[in-house]
Amino acid sequence: MAANGPKQFQTDEAPTSLLSATMLVGPATVFVAAGLLAPLLILFRYSFNRFDPRRMMVETFSPDNYVKFFADPYYTGVLWTTLRVAALCTLACLVMGLPLAYVLARTQSRFKNVLIMLVVLPLFVGNAVRAAGWMVLFGAKGFLNVTLMWVGVISVPLQLMYTEGAVIAGIIAVNLPYMVLTLQSVIEGINRNVEEAAFSLGANPMTMFRRVLLPLSLPGILAGTILTFILGMNAYATPVLLGGPKFKMMGPLVFGEFQLNNWPFGASVAFVLMTATLGLTATANILVQRRFRR
Amino acid sequence: MTRSKSRREVLLGAAALAGTAALPRAASAGQEKGRIVVGTWGGDYARLLHKNIEEPILIKDGWEVVQDQAGDPERRSKMLAEQRLPRGTSDVQGLSALNMFQMHDAGIVLPIDYGKLKNAGNLLPAMKYPYGIGQIYSGKVAVYNPKLITTAPVSYKDVFDPKHGDKLGIIDIQYQYTLVCAALAAGGKVNDIEPGKKLLLECKNAGMRIYPTNEAFAQGLKSEELGTGVMWKARVVQWQNAGISVDAVAPIEGTLAYVSGFVIPKNAPNKEGGYAYLDAMLDKSAQEAFAVDMGYNPTVSNAVVAPDLNKRIGFTPDEVKKLVDLDYDYMNKYDVDFKEWWDKVLKS
Repeated sequence: MAANGPKQFQTDEAPTSLLSATMLVGPATVFVAAGLLAPLLILFRYSFNRFDPRRMMVETFSPDNYVKFFADPYYTGVLWTTLRVAALCTLACLVMGLPLAYVLARTQSRFKNVLIMLVVLPLFVGNAVRAAGWMVLFGAKGFLNVTLMWVGVISVPLQLMYTEGAVIAGIIAVNLPYMVLTLQSVIEGINRNVEEAAFSLGANPMTMFRRVLLPLSLPGILAGTILTFILGMNAYATPVLLGGPKFKMMGPLVFGEFQLNNWPFGASVAFVLMTATLGLTATANILVQRRFRR
Repeated sequence: MTRSKSRREVLLGAAALAGTAALPRAASAGQEKGRIVVGTWGGDYARLLHKNIEEPILIKDGWEVVQDQAGDPERRSKMLAEQRLPRGTSDVQGLSALNMFQMHDAGIVLPIDYGKLKNAGNLLPAMKYPYGIGQIYSGKVAVYNPKLITTAPVSYKDVFDPKHGDKLGIIDIQYQYTLVCAALAAGGKVNDIEPGKKLLLECKNAGMRIYPTNEAFAQGLKSEELGTGVMWKARVVQWQNAGISVDAVAPIEGTLAYVSGFVIPKNAPNKEGGYAYLDAMLDKSAQEAFAVDMGYNPTVSNAVVAPDLNKRIGFTPDEVKKLVDLDYDYMNKYDVDFKEWWDKVLKS
């Protein structure tokens, strides 16, 4: 277009817009490149080195660490556990978050801002502190067990702490606000009239949701799902505090390897985690978009 | 009516103000000996270092002390990452004896010149490492709740007995010391822990509990879901003070020692400051205060511990003779293998 335009626009605008674009994109790009990409590249290189108890890290270029990860059922088991927990948490967040986000988006209440603040409120507290709260709830002499025993439902305390269920509950509590806020902002952008139009044409609420609301809110669902899935895959404090010593997810595994000074293997586990997260996220994105484009 | 100031007057005023502001600083700089950056665990340890060493000795003496608080894995990683830099970011680092050896083995820490420490003469010979000093020590004792374990254990063998079932507990983060204690219980040695692995598996099959942290272990003792295990004697004193029903016994196999010490990184920016810090740690008053506040034993011969306190935290001369140290080289060499076995086999 610009090439076909009047000459004065071609000469005046092009350098200005290029400069503006550089000014706008530059600082963030430099920051990300220096603060994220450079360390990632270094870590990636480390993942091909060899661990030595005395020298810590020996420079070499070998895929041994990746082979070790995928050849050992213990490590692949940790990866599957992580995928399962992240997927379950994401699904639960979506199922619970969508109705809540819809109500928040459509409410005319003067307390709407207060309701949104209530959703945001848990984010003011760190993950570890929230996990500590769950520990008080789930402990052998915690609120839940004491209440159930007092009511007479159980006679011996249930083992709630240090279970996968406790970890899933903890991660859902952490991730739910992200899902709700993402969905709420997208649903708010959908004109209420399209829903009314569907109803006026005879659609029941379920059909309206399936045929109108769901496709239109898909960008929000995708964004919220991706966000919560990534957070679930990389969870650290919650699995450590609520999962106990026998429960292992990838985040704590990476940290554990660095604790042992085994940087090469820790780096390779970190890259397996990152690749799995990015790969699954991108695949889900493509599949969902294709499905709803038809 | 006030006259507006000329530019020259404003500049003169600003210069005078800057000069005045710099005066006390310049004056105090003459008294200051420099800055010491100390890498330490946070919490009580950091607080007590400040209370018993930094404030009464070093700061009073004109040093500025900055604490870099973090867990030891993070600080060791930092030391490793800074290894190639000509100037690191810390002058002294607090580590366990095993980790001090590990850093020494990696060539990261300075050999200690004991001639530079005026308190070195009082340091117990066993605490004089070529690459660091032992600041405090305790031992891994057999602990039990007398309400649940009616016959007091006298050995590690009595503790790691499958007959205890789920009344026996171990701590995940203490895998190294637990493995060695179990090895001693099973007739192994500090450099042969295979018998200990076998015994731990038997205990696991009998229902042994694994707690993630020391605090969770204490909670288990308190709630009486747990009856026996092994723990640092100093920590037992803290639990007794907190009202937990627990007693400690020095095992007949010899008590496995835990030493907490300090090293100077080779690339410490202020090595003299590092030596000053180590020397202050060995001061009689600092050592005595740590025994009172933290329940760990002094590592200098001239520290006086009250008899009643010594009875709770200390060891008899016979027990001191029988203290068992880790084989640092062996532990360092096989640490990753031990952890993998612990995670994959014992905890599976």
